Amino acid sequence: MTFLEINDLKVHFPIRGGIFNRKIDSIRAVDGISFQIEAGQTYGIVGESGSGKTTTGRAIIGLNQITSGQIIFQGIDLADKKNKKIDFRKDIQMIFQDPYSSLNPKKRVLDIVAEPLRNYEKLTKKEEIYRVAELLEKVGLSEESIYKYPHQFSGGQRQRIGIARAIALKPKLIIADEPVSALDVSVQAQVLNFMRDIQEELNLTYLFISHDLGIVKHMSDRIGIMYKGRYVEEGSTDDIFTNPQHIYTKRLVAAIPDINPKNRAKQKTFREEVQKEYEQAYHDYFDEEGLAYDLRRQSETHLVALPERVN
Amino acid sequence: MVKVDVDVKEEKKAHKSQSSLNILWREIVRDKLALVSLIFFVSITVVVFTVSAVLDLDQIVKVDLFSIHQAPNQEFWLGTDYGGRDVFGQLIIGTRNSLWIGFIVTFLTGIIGVTFGLVAGYFGGHVDNVMMRILDFFQILPFLMIVIVFVAIVPSYSTLAFSLIMTAFLWMGIARLVRSKALQERELDYAQASKTLGTPQWKIMFGQVLPNLSSLIIVTMTLNLAANIGLESGLSFLGFGFPESTPSLGTLLSYARNPQTLEYRWWIWLPAAILIFLLMLSVRNVGEALKRATDARQRRG
Repeated sequence: MTFLEINDLKVHFPIRGGIFNRKIDSIRAVDGISFQIEAGQTYGIVGESGSGKTTTGRAIIGLNQITSGQIIFQGIDLADKKNKKIDFRKDIQMIFQDPYSSLNPKKRVLDIVAEPLRNYEKLTKKEEIYRVAELLEKVGLSEESIYKYPHQFSGGQRQRIGIARAIALKPKLIIADEPVSALDVSVQAQVLNFMRDIQEELNLTYLFISHDLGIVKHMSDRIGIMYKGRYVEEGSTDDIFTNPQHIYTKRLVAAIPDINPKNRAKQKTFREEVQKEYEQAYHDYFDEEGLAYDLRRQSETHLVALPERVN
Repeated sequence: MVKVDVDVKEEKKAHKSQSSLNILWREIVRDKLALVSLIFFVSITVVVFTVSAVLDLDQIVKVDLFSIHQAPNQEFWLGTDYGGRDVFGQLIIGTRNSLWIGFIVTFLTGIIGVTFGLVAGYFGGHVDNVMMRILDFFQILPFLMIVIVFVAIVPSYSTLAFSLIMTAFLWMGIARLVRSKALQERELDYAQASKTLGTPQWKIMFGQVLPNLSSLIIVTMTLNLAANIGLESGLSFLGFGFPESTPSLGTLLSYARNPQTLEYRWWIWLPAAILIFLLMLSVRNVGEALKRATDARQRRG
C-alpha cells in the first residue's frame, strides 16, 4: 500500500460575474495531477509562481476544496465525502511559508505550540509546559522562550516554532510549503538540515513544495515539476537532474549555476543546446492552450509529458 | 529528558512584552490631556455613584411649592426648579442615570456588534451576505421615530428598557467595523494554521482572531461611550427620554426650553450642560489617545 496516493487531483476556483453572480468560468489551479509518496521519503514539487504547487499542498490538508480526484492516505480516500468525519489532522501537518504571519502575534510561544496538544490530548498545565519545553528543545530553542511572544524571535527561530507546532502531534506526513523561502540564505541551510534530522528521528514523510531547484535537489527523493496546474515531468532526483526530457525541465536545470569552473565549458554547451531546442521546438511540447500533455512513462521511475508525435 | 525549572510567575513578568493593553496605557500616560480627562471621568463616575447611593430619590423629586425657583443657597446648593426640587440632587442622580445608560448601551452594543461582525467576517461568503442584509435592514429603520413610538406606548419605562431599545439600533456600526477587520484576519496564515491543527471554528474565531481585534474594539467602544451619553441626553432634551420623575442630564437640560428659565434661572440647566460637555469631551480625549495608540506611526509614547 502506498503511503499517500494522489489520483487525478483537480482544484478549480470559480470566476463569478454577471447579474446573479453566476459561475461563468473557472481557474484551473490544479488540473489533474497524480503522484505517489512512499513512507519516510521526501517528495518535492517544483514550479513557477501560480503553477498550482501550493494549492496542491493546501488541497491535501483540506484548506482548499478539491473539485475532483482522490487523495488516498494510508488506504483511506480523504476526498471522499463519506470519510469526512475521519480526523486525519493528527497525521498530516503543515509548515507554512511565511513565519511572520503564521504565528499569532497575540499568543505566547507556549500557547502556539500547545494549541494542537490542547485539541487532541488532555494534559495538565504542568505536563503541557513540559511537553512544549521538550518540543522547543528538539527544534533548538531554549525553554525560557515559552513565555515570549513571536515578535521577540528572528525569522529562522519563528520557523522553528512553526516546525515545533507541526511535529507536536507526531504526524506521519508534513506538507512543507516553501518553508525556507522567506528566510535568509544563511538560515535556510540550518532549517533544512534540521528538517532532515527530525525526519530521520521521527520517521516523517515530507511533501516539499518549493521553487528553488537547489533546495529541492538537496531534500528530495522524488521530484515533480509543475507548470500551469499540470505535471510536465516526474522522476527520481537523478532522473530530473541528469536526464531531463521536457523542454521546461531542461531550461530549469540549465539555469542552475555551477560554481565548479571545470564544468564551465560543459555547462555552456548544454545551455546552448537547450536554447536551440527552445527556439525551434518549444511549442511542440504544449497543446493549443499552452498546457502540458499527459505524462508518459520513460523508465521505471521517470515520467515525462511528451507529445504523442515524438514517440 | 528536559528539566523544566521555569518559575511561571517570574518568567511571565520578565517577558511581559509590549502587549496591546500596555501600549494603550502608555499612550494615555504620555498624552497629558487624555490622562487628565481619564482621571476626571473616573472621579466623576465614582463620586456620582457613591453620592447617589446615599441620596433619596423620592425626597429629591418631591414637589415642594414653598421653595420653587430658589437661587443656589445653603440648603439647596444649586437652587431648585419650578417644582421646588433640589437641582443638585437631580444633577447627581441624573448624571448617574445618563452614565449608566451610556455604559449599558456601549456594553450591549459591543457584545452584539462584535459577535455579529466576527461571525459574518470570519465565515464570509453566503453567511456574510445574509448577515449583512439583516444589518442593512436594521440600519434603514428610522431610529428616532421608533424611539418616539416606544415612549408613547410604554407608560413607565426603566433605565434598562430604555437602554435595550437604544441597543437595538446602535450595534450596527461596530459590527461592520469588526466584520471588515475579521475578513482580513481570517486570510492570514495563523488562522489557516489553526485549522490544520484541528482547532474548532468557534475557537479560532474567539480565541485566535478576536484577540487581534482587541485594540480596534477598545477604541471603538470608548468613542461609542461618548456618543451614547450624548444621545441619551439629546433624546431626553427633546422629551423622548425619561419622565421628570427619573432625572437625567437631558431632563435637566430640557427645562431650558422655557425662556424664563433660560434667561433668569441658569442654575437649573447650566451645570447639567457643562457636565454633559465635559463628560463627552473627556471620554473623547481618551478615545482619541487610544485610537492614536493603535497606529504605530501616530503614537507619541
